[in-house]
Amino acid sequence: MLLEVLQGTEAGGFILIQDSVNYCGRHLLKSCINAALKREEVVHVLGFEVSQEELNDGLDKTSAQRLHFHNAYSDPLGWTGNSPFTVHQFTLEDIGTLLKQTPQAKAVTLVIDSLSWILRHHDPAAICQKLQALKKGGVVRAVIGLLHSDLHQRGTVGSICHLATSVITVAPGTRGLGAFAKITRRTKSGKLMQDEEIFSINEDLTVTIQSKRSHPGSTPMNTDESEVDPTANLTFNLRLSDTQREAKEKLPLPFVFRSQHFCTRAPVQDGSFTSLMPMMIMTRRILMTTLMSRGQATSHVEHSSLQLMPLLDIYMPETTIIAWVPA
Amino acid sequence: MCVFLQGEFILVSDKHTDASFLIHHFLSFYLRAGCKVCFLGLVQSFSHYSAISQRLGVSLTQAREKGQLVFLEGLKESLGVLLQASKGTRTMDFLRDPSSGLRGLYDFVRDNVRGAVGGAEEWGPPVLLVDDLSVVLSLGVSVGAALDFSHYCRATVCSELQGSMVMLVRCEAEEEEESDDEGSERLLRGLIHQCSLTLQVQGLPTGYCRDIHGQVEVCWRGQCDKQQAQKKLFQYKVHDKGASFFARGMSSAVL
Repeated sequence: MLLEVLQGTEAGGFILIQDSVNYCGRHLLKSCINAALKREEVVHVLGFEVSQEELNDGLDKTSAQRLHFHNAYSDPLGWTGNSPFTVHQFTLEDIGTLLKQTPQAKAVTLVIDSLSWILRHHDPAAICQKLQALKKGGVVRAVIGLLHSDLHQRGTVGSICHLATSVITVAPGTRGLGAFAKITRRTKSGKLMQDEEIFSINEDLTVTIQSKRSHPGSTPMNTDESEVDPTANLTFNLRLSDTQREAKEKLPLPFVFRSQHFCTRAPVQDGSFTSLMPMMIMTRRILMTTLMSRGQATSHVEHSSLQLMPLLDIYMPETTIIAWVPA
Repeated sequence: MCVFLQGEFILVSDKHTDASFLIHHFLSFYLRAGCKVCFLGLVQSFSHYSAISQRLGVSLTQAREKGQLVFLEGLKESLGVLLQASKGTRTMDFLRDPSSGLRGLYDFVRDNVRGAVGGAEEWGPPVLLVDDLSVVLSLGVSVGAALDFSHYCRATVCSELQGSMVMLVRCEAEEEEESDDEGSERLLRGLIHQCSLTLQVQGLPTGYCRDIHGQVEVCWRGQCDKQQAQKKLFQYKVHDKGASFFARGMSSAVL
């Protein structure tokens, strides 16, 4: 799904890339920009966080004339007095003025690097209003924004995510496996789709999907190192021969209640549930033992049950026993 | 192909330990390399750094006289601001009015980080050292203002002048995640997003050791995707004349 989102051409889309200190989302942002340039779209970048040279590095040079970088990096707050673009100019009118530089463009993609910078200087509610107006207003075809989710409160991040049609949350992948992306996509009909993928970004800024649906926490650990058999080269024997196994199975377990009705395996046929002891000791879990009297001599059943209960209490204290003895 | 180069923004951070030995190291390193150094010493006096640099083989007094080193002695300047309310440069304005931010401090950096026009000596690329940035949070400056300051310094020193920047940030031990909106953890995260290299200094997880004073996690936030996951862990020991670094378990004391 990541590739579909990157190639997304639906109008009114807002793609949000969320990153954290552990993995920088700017590379994926550059892939988005590159993909838009290759689709012959005009891309306007509001660059607050990195310089033009740093952002352009690696982008497709042949479509450079379709990329318009608005420098909000060198003086975003107007401290030097002659700033090309300040953070306070993040309004519909000023953005419209910027976009008028390319009046003939039909499909304009607006890239904001980054929304975190703007959120530091503006009220989050106001930003949400402006983003919504940008989406709906028809001024731009699509908006792509980068957000550092660990720099804001969860409520703020949640509000921005709610506005987005697609949210890509990036995180570092497990060793050597690229990066991990969790994608949430909302179609116009309101259907919500989610996916998780491992991806890597090539030198030419194209994205390669390496595998799908693999949460970083659940990757099996044996892919990290080559498989080593821990039972090889031991100085002792871990396996049993057939004769040893037979002898082991014949061995009566300790504390088995020996009585005339003692039977090693078969469940109760004769009304005595003492023969269930080996099985019950072996399982050692919460056990519901339903005891039924089979119409044997009442005195016999009562006698053996009276003998069994204290034993069960001692040897299997963690076992819950539910006994039903019909009257 | 990622061929873009600019100056490095190196972020040194520490938690439960003291990473200032790295600042002393960088100071003497850049002075020996012949760079023009602008040092914002906000937490210690000039004589403190001078004494330590003497042991590392560099004379700060001489460097200052030659014009290679510009030293802002924050403690002395702050006394001037607090005692004489009417006078004082704008550099330490944030002491009088923390809400005004660090614009005065940035103006100082901008004016002093460039070489003097027509100066006699030709110094190498400019370097800005800050020790330490988290102290302004205790003085009432907001995290946003500190991040704005570091952004402007980076734009001027690293991008425009192709110089380097080293900042020290000290973290308090904050356990809760939600309430540190205005804390040093948020400042640290914001700075990590801006920098190209982080050196996170911590004590050993197993406790105090006489021969190994702590560990440093080096993390490159590269321009290219390939450099994303570059993290290395070293251990260090601080000596009288510097610090030595070695791989985990390779200290000469244990080998």
